[in-house]
Amino acid sequence: MAVVAIEGLGKRYDGDGEPAVKDFSLTIADGEFMVLLGPSGCGKSSVLRMIAGLEPITAGTVSIDGTVVNDVPAKNRDIAMVFQSYALYPHMNVYDNLAFGLRRRGFAREEIDRRVRDAAIKLDLAQFLTRKPHALSGGQRQRVALGRAIVRAPKVLLLDEPLSNLDAALRLNTRNELIKQQAELGTTTIYVTHDQIEAMTMGHRICIMRKGEVVQIGAPLEVYRRPANTFVARFLGAPPMNLIAAQLDLSDAGATVTLESLHLEIDAWPQSTPARAGAVTLGIRPEDIYETPPPELRSRPGALPVRVVAVEPLGAETLVVVRLASSGEELIARVGRESRLVAGGTTSVFLDVGQIHLFHPATTTAISGFTARLMRSDA
Amino acid sequence: MRLGLALWLSYLKRAPLLIVLILYTTVTGGPFLWVTAMSLRTTAEIFDSRYALPTIWHWSKFADAWTKANYGTYFWNSTIVVVSAVALVTLIGAMAAHCLARYHFRGSRLVRFVILSGMILPPQLLILSLFQIMLNYGLYNSLLGLVIVYVATQLAMTVYILEGFFTQIPQDLFDAAQIDGYSQFEIFWRITLPIGLPAIFTAVILNFILLWNEFLYAVVLLTDDDKRTLPLGLMRFMGGHQLDIGMIATGLMISIVPVLLIYAVTSETMIKGMTAGAVR
Repeated sequence: MAVVAIEGLGKRYDGDGEPAVKDFSLTIADGEFMVLLGPSGCGKSSVLRMIAGLEPITAGTVSIDGTVVNDVPAKNRDIAMVFQSYALYPHMNVYDNLAFGLRRRGFAREEIDRRVRDAAIKLDLAQFLTRKPHALSGGQRQRVALGRAIVRAPKVLLLDEPLSNLDAALRLNTRNELIKQQAELGTTTIYVTHDQIEAMTMGHRICIMRKGEVVQIGAPLEVYRRPANTFVARFLGAPPMNLIAAQLDLSDAGATVTLESLHLEIDAWPQSTPARAGAVTLGIRPEDIYETPPPELRSRPGALPVRVVAVEPLGAETLVVVRLASSGEELIARVGRESRLVAGGTTSVFLDVGQIHLFHPATTTAISGFTARLMRSDA
Repeated sequence: MRLGLALWLSYLKRAPLLIVLILYTTVTGGPFLWVTAMSLRTTAEIFDSRYALPTIWHWSKFADAWTKANYGTYFWNSTIVVVSAVALVTLIGAMAAHCLARYHFRGSRLVRFVILSGMILPPQLLILSLFQIMLNYGLYNSLLGLVIVYVATQLAMTVYILEGFFTQIPQDLFDAAQIDGYSQFEIFWRITLPIGLPAIFTAVILNFILLWNEFLYAVVLLTDDDKRTLPLGLMRFMGGHQLDIGMIATGLMISIVPVLLIYAVTSETMIKGMTAGAVR
């Protein structure tokens, strides 16, 4: 177990004008499960490979337990890594795949055997020890890859999109298995993914990246509920947060936001915010838009007249795409499975205005620290 | 009746393919059978009737060729030279191919170009300078000299075959081995070589067949009868005024047998290896 500290990390590949990673700083606590989340090409795998020692570092430092490891070869960093492709040695059976790293580190034959068999039992691989990787299913291969990493009891465990080659059902099982294993082992873990569900369900904390930079770091629900900017707001959540243009008015009496027929009063408007009166981006998550307002909202329903564009029943819930009557902007609402809405009809949807987010329209950063309540509705 | 017609039609459809196959087999197998027949007949019998099958099977010709005509020595010379050259060229070629496939160092494209350009140079172009170099270093008329020349001439093709295969081995395997604690050379030895076995098989067999039959370098760089390889040994029976065609045929059979055996034993493994390809 170890603390991993990354300071001002940078990576520039030969021939690339734009750096792949820019001024990346992050400290991962002992035993923490940290998820690096971002779209393809955001630099998250580059960060992981630099921590692993597979990629030279252009700028900054990586420290493990207080020791800078920039110039320490991968084999001496006491880390283990699970690859997206599993990277099992195709010419070796499962036993040899698991034992390969231990043999190099000079463990006694009996110790290697004990560790391999323990890992095999833990990961339900005991009956496959003599099989070659090509004779295993995707899930079994994934478990061998994980086994190879944990059998060495490394200080830091790195996982590079390890579930992305599995089908949906297996992914769910393996996800739970990984969470269980990490909790049992307590190994400091860094997990790279572009899948926000994996990030939300697995990580103690999530580090969201974009274009090689850290955008936001925090616990899953914290980043979900308080996104730092519109990128995080849209990236976390499926369907993503709705972002709509609204009007901000500032006066001595306070701030108000107008969205179509809704007039919202903003309490505790942060004076330090650079936002000025005028256009503002209003964000609301699909689950905060209702077909019929729940009891706690009935006294202050923020009704918006809309036209229903599409209805997508998913079984457990229904997604409804609606178009605002005057501006024509589209919103997605997650409503109950018993929705009576039909495409083409007109209706009103109800916003839980206490859950709205406001973003600076130019910088896209969140305006935080306020509370919103409904002042009046013209609908 | 209808069934018979359908059967004939199906034969007719396949007829062009069968004709091509029969022609191809005749062209390739015919000479081989002819040489086999001649290897068991005396030169006098052959001059009497060139295409006849042996009436008396002269197996003793093989023993004569091996002992009296010195084919035994030629065979061992060929074996020593070819086995050493193939082993060396495979090892050196595999290491070069591993480096070119895995590492992107400054000038790697130039190195690749220089090595692979060896494939396009005709041997006739090199033979005079090579002769002079061998003479200068005391390697002329020595089996070691021939081994070195064979390694140099076959390196380009070996690197070409192996690099193509090694490039397809996923980088993740090398990264995983590196994290597992292995050095660059151990990774080559324990990962690249075993996974690249199908390609190495191909390179070994191709090089073996090409070098086993190699004539030009051997005839220029070897002079002593005791150092001749099999293709040169056959020349002994091609005098200016006489041609011992029966003995040449027997010698040819002796030189062909190892190639046939290697092909018979390894061809299936080779094809399996090349088509399996599953390295992930």
